[in-house]
Amino acid sequence: MADEQLSGLATAAKYYSDYGSRARELKSMGKKVIGYFSSLCPVEILTAAGVVPVRMKGNVSEAITRADAYMETMICPFVRNVFDAAIKGKYRYLDGMVMPHQCDSLDRTSDIWDYNLGFQYYHFLNYPHLADDPSIEFTNEILRIFIGTLEKFTGRNITDQALADAVRAHNNNRRVMRELYGLRKEDVPRISGAEMMQVLIAAVSLPVDESTALIRRVTEEVTNRAPGFSAKKARIMLVGDQIDDIAIVNAIEGTGAHLVMDDLSVGSKMYWDDVAETGDLIQGITDRYLNKLKIPTTFVSAGNTYEENLEARFGHVKSHIKDFNVDGVILFIYKYCDPYGFEVPAIKSYIESVGTPVIYIEDEYSTSSLGRVKTRIEAFLEMIAG
Amino acid sequence: MTQVESGNYFAGVDIGSTMTKVVILGEGKEFCLIGPTGPEHRKMANRVMEEALRSASISLEDLTYIIATGYGRINVPFADRQVTEITCHAKGMARLIPSARTVIDIGGQDSKGIRLENGKVIDFVMNDKCAAGTGRFLEIIADALGVPLTKLGELSLSAEKPASISNTCTVFAEQEVISQLAAGESIPNLVAGIHQAAATRIHAMVSKLKFERDVAVTGGGAKNQGLVKALEAKFGFSLLIPGEPLVTGALGAALIGKEMCARAARKGVTLARKPRQLSEASFCC
Amino acid sequence: MSEIRKPRALATQAAGKAGKFGRANLAATLKAKEEGKKVAYMYINNGQDEIVRAMDIVPAWSENFAGVCSAKRDAEKFLQKAEAENFSRSLCTYATCTIGFDIWREELGEIPPNTPWGGMGRPDMIIGSAQQLCDPRIKWPQATQHYLRDVPVWMGTMYYPPWDQISDHRDQEELYVKYATEELRALVRFCEQHTGKKMDWDRLEAIVNLSDRTWDVFIDTYELRMAIPTPMDTGDAMNTMVPLTFNLGTQEAYDFYKELYDELKEKIALKKGVTENEKYRLVWGAGLPSWFALSDFQYFNDKGAVFPVETTYRNAEKIERLDLPKTNDPLEHIAWRWVRIWTHWYDKARKRPGSLPKVERIIEYLEDYHCDGVVFHCAYSCRSWHAGIIQQEQVLKKAYGDVPTLIMEGDIVDISSYNEVDTHNRIDAFMETLGAMKRKERANSAGP
Repeated sequence: MADEQLSGLATAAKYYSDYGSRARELKSMGKKVIGYFSSLCPVEILTAAGVVPVRMKGNVSEAITRADAYMETMICPFVRNVFDAAIKGKYRYLDGMVMPHQCDSLDRTSDIWDYNLGFQYYHFLNYPHLADDPSIEFTNEILRIFIGTLEKFTGRNITDQALADAVRAHNNNRRVMRELYGLRKEDVPRISGAEMMQVLIAAVSLPVDESTALIRRVTEEVTNRAPGFSAKKARIMLVGDQIDDIAIVNAIEGTGAHLVMDDLSVGSKMYWDDVAETGDLIQGITDRYLNKLKIPTTFVSAGNTYEENLEARFGHVKSHIKDFNVDGVILFIYKYCDPYGFEVPAIKSYIESVGTPVIYIEDEYSTSSLGRVKTRIEAFLEMIAG
Repeated sequence: MTQVESGNYFAGVDIGSTMTKVVILGEGKEFCLIGPTGPEHRKMANRVMEEALRSASISLEDLTYIIATGYGRINVPFADRQVTEITCHAKGMARLIPSARTVIDIGGQDSKGIRLENGKVIDFVMNDKCAAGTGRFLEIIADALGVPLTKLGELSLSAEKPASISNTCTVFAEQEVISQLAAGESIPNLVAGIHQAAATRIHAMVSKLKFERDVAVTGGGAKNQGLVKALEAKFGFSLLIPGEPLVTGALGAALIGKEMCARAARKGVTLARKPRQLSEASFCC
Repeated sequence: MSEIRKPRALATQAAGKAGKFGRANLAATLKAKEEGKKVAYMYINNGQDEIVRAMDIVPAWSENFAGVCSAKRDAEKFLQKAEAENFSRSLCTYATCTIGFDIWREELGEIPPNTPWGGMGRPDMIIGSAQQLCDPRIKWPQATQHYLRDVPVWMGTMYYPPWDQISDHRDQEELYVKYATEELRALVRFCEQHTGKKMDWDRLEAIVNLSDRTWDVFIDTYELRMAIPTPMDTGDAMNTMVPLTFNLGTQEAYDFYKELYDELKEKIALKKGVTENEKYRLVWGAGLPSWFALSDFQYFNDKGAVFPVETTYRNAEKIERLDLPKTNDPLEHIAWRWVRIWTHWYDKARKRPGSLPKVERIIEYLEDYHCDGVVFHCAYSCRSWHAGIIQQEQVLKKAYGDVPTLIMEGDIVDISSYNEVDTHNRIDAFMETLGAMKRKERANSAGP
């Protein structure tokens, strides 16, 4: 493993700022690298196939200059930004890509990625939006089809043993990340929100075992930090989809608040639930990604009443607020996002009903409007402080 | 509010996108100064501050506490603390119009809605980067029509029938106005129409707050009678405007400084202060 | 400038009658309570309408309601109502318009004043469809329920195998059909539970059979538009789509297209076209129209351009062309019809390197309907149908040849996303391109 001399946090910072650098190294050593979108991608299967999975991300500081010739401007600004990076050659090191069906902005641009980037391997993983029994059975089948395409691509079978090992490795990865999250429950968290964001991003750019080792090193380092003493600061939780840059975190922490928790698709959503290690592993994977993972594109109908449904959809947010002693929630939603946008009134009033103030910010995947966002965050913190 | 010792002065500096406002609060006295912001915030902050100090016949060192607010608040090197304009507007309005429960601030680059209780913010909204419903929107249209910005309000009051402007996107609206002008629509009708379009956007934004009355308007937009009239039509009741709407934020900032000092004094702590110099050394950022 | 807008002239009698279907559908939702019937909010092209018809549930088509508000240029008040609840203006405006109406109706306890065409009745249930068609189909029912908490929401799915250049969709069709069939069966159970009635399977089979025949007569009728000059334009088709889209499985829908068939036949015999001087024939390549600016079709027609064909709302095919496997289960038949309406373009696309099924469809229409160019419309708030239009345009030019194309911009409901001046400028420039191309063609064919 590279960079033993660097501290864990410094390694995370390095992988964060030179995103994909480890995957490029592994590629030069003959490994195959597969990019993927969304917290829906069953990374266990990619790991079992012996490829290096890399979560696709963009760059909020980079203006979109080339994607507009391929993608309409009302497509998700995050997706357009990543495509802009890809068409400019930033993902040239990928051998292939997996596109899970999460939302229209991914589904409707799937051909654009496939046709214009010329990857050797491309797979649209057609997840359903439902988690009822027929959908579970259907998902088991499309996961088997996915496995088949990977086997064809790599030229080797994914054995039951390889899948079992991968499931265990990813569960382990989630467990150590949850432990690191746990250190944020203290009055003065041992790890800042910005550091945490760097770890989260570095973690999804590495093979699972390297990712786990990195998280462990970081955990050890920050555990050894002297406990912090400071005046009481507001404890903030950030809710949204793929917020993968420290710019917004710095905007929050720069005002003197602690970012102590998130419900993000590159954050706690990825780490809170495991795949069952016993029984049919495919069934376990389906269950993890359709039933346990709470994202707005998977329809939840667990309750008999609307209120029970709300609990099933957002109950985990309430638990996080309690466990991490959250004072205020920033709901940061990208413009043009139907899945998240349509649930803003529901999630906002749900969180407010437990007595926690919420600010809803709609923005693009860009730092161009950060000044305005900062003003709103500062005013929100002033409001909480009373 | 705790009585402040004599000789204490508190300043609020509000650097908006177009205007810089300074309020100095002394015992029983208030001094307000307003000047354009321009591209170099620091220089202008200094100039407006100097003039305000001159009219109060005090020096910068005499200021006990200085709070900067507004969009350029971080560019005030001599300010002891920065507070957002949202919090400051609420505080300032509570003083100017105590019955106000909702404040609409219509500034040059943005507009905001604020709900307040006892001078504290309880909820707020702010426009996204779209300029509709801000001073900038009106400025661009005024330009397109060849009308001075300051004349917009007056002109719209002479409209016979406000033109219907369906676009709120600034660029689209500009084109729509030009094409209607070419088709023979009168300038007063167009100006009134554009005020309606801006009022519609502002009303839609403020409606997110579940606002309560009284509703007061502040910022540069409050000085535009045409816009206020269009807003009143949209809200269906009259809106309250303070005597000098531009200084609400700066006044709020000065009041917050005064309260903070009083609170610190009660606790027996001293607040950290920045050096009292109008340095012009660091424009370069 | 709404005062000086010319209403669109309708070229066919039938198009004028289509509006009656829309009005009657909305009226039925208001009368349902008196008649002891249940009302269900539904979303078009869901494969669920025949079941609902067979159960005597009255469908309330939310997209149609929003479209009517848009066409009447009276949607803004509803959009603002939704905006005040923090629904972003960038979300699907069919949804936000209807949700705004719902919120208002709940507040008043009755239909809000001056609602276009009398509005929609309060639903007894919401039947959503988590298809691979559009995200708002799952989020909109959920968001509506936030304001109508007692109304049950049922969500089903109807997926189809995704297009893939290298794998054969036939290997997956049965999986998708099985899944869709089970979802439809679950919908039957939901309807039975909420109406207290049992499904009459014979009746459902008869309705499905009638739908098949309606699809056939619909396509036969629309293919008459291949005639030169074309007897019917896309501007009309945006009206004549109503019975197929909202009244499938009813005798009235079938009769409507029969009548339209006869009318078009008559016009063809008389060589009566949409315009006096048909200069350019265009494919409406993709996109829902700006309902508030349907007069733009007239703008095209006035310049001698007609649309003999469109991909939009042509959600049918001749049944025999789909080559559906035999089944005695009407639900499975619906599922096969649904899957094949997508996959039956796949083989064609596979044969032309670099092509796409959606593009093959455009190419087929270009050729069969003797068209000169393709117009797309990109509606700002709808990603589902409008994300990927640039790609279709590019693939068309790359895989097929340099066809003149135009992408217009607007929205389905929100007028503030539309710029009439700019749209007309773009159309004018496009007409000049078409003219130049025609002159070049003539020069080439005159040849040395």
